[in-house]
Amino acid sequence: MPALPLDEAGKYVAGAYIVFLVLIVIYVAIMAAKLQRIEKELRELARFAESRATSDQAAPGRGSGTPSISDSLASHGSRGGGA
Amino acid sequence: MYGKGLRPLSIATVVTLAAALYLVFFYAPLDADQGFIQKIFYLHVPLAITALVGFVVGGVFAIAHLRSGDRRWDAYSYVSIHMSVIFGVAVLITGSIWAKASWGHWWVWDEPTLVSFLIVFLLYATYYPFRYAIEDPERQARYASVFAVTAGAFVPLNFLAVRMAQSLVHPRVFATANGGLPNSMLLTFLASLVAIALLWVTLVKFELTAKSASGQVKRLRRALDAPAPGPRSRVAPEVG
Repeated sequence: MPALPLDEAGKYVAGAYIVFLVLIVIYVAIMAAKLQRIEKELRELARFAESRATSDQAAPGRGSGTPSISDSLASHGSRGGGA
Repeated sequence: MYGKGLRPLSIATVVTLAAALYLVFFYAPLDADQGFIQKIFYLHVPLAITALVGFVVGGVFAIAHLRSGDRRWDAYSYVSIHMSVIFGVAVLITGSIWAKASWGHWWVWDEPTLVSFLIVFLLYATYYPFRYAIEDPERQARYASVFAVTAGAFVPLNFLAVRMAQSLVHPRVFATANGGLPNSMLLTFLASLVAIALLWVTLVKFELTAKSASGQVKRLRRALDAPAPGPRSRVAPEVG
């Protein structure tokens, strides 16, 4: 086939480069969502660790009365999924 | 640990990509035969080369995993293949656009290069269901590594088979006497190849860092759940 005129070829070239860009953006968006989830989980874990440290200071030697992290995170509605 | 050097690598990738795009649109001359549409070549071919090399790299990491039993190599292998599959999607779409512009069809079934890449892509598309069909993590990693090694060996064999097919439709620009690239085009192509390869490495590192962070969170959760702290150990990024 003969070479396409610039105005028509430009659409295809732009399409190819935009597809590439869109794929990268989608990937980065998915990764950003995963990182947000990790950050949320870390915040909940930090909150739990702090509350446990506070309760340990208040009653040293007591361990069984402290709620588990699973219970604590479940009450916060965390899904607990990884990336 | 996995995030070390990610920032300079990302900056290098962005700079190289920008330089490559500049070369593509402002330095490389228009192709005498295809005209402006040939600019897709500087995106499509580096993507294809990087994806195929990434599949082979995934196989090499899988060999390291099978030899050592270290789960980190399995994570490297998984992420390499994962990223190459994403690049493979880009290869198929950009290739279809180029085919439509050059040949008037979105897909040509009698072109060995296209069909062979599709076969490789579909082969690796089965990696995910194969991997996640196995629940036991140790077996999952081992079987996935065997798959990665076998499929990784298939990639260069497939490439050789296509080269031997001697198609006249898809000229081999680096091998034929009349199809060699002029220096300006070759430089642009190499710059694009380096940029896309750097992008692949950066995204692999990014994904590994995210998986490692996720694994550390799970580990922290287990440690907080346990009544007494267990022995500290180096944990590979969790795949899944």
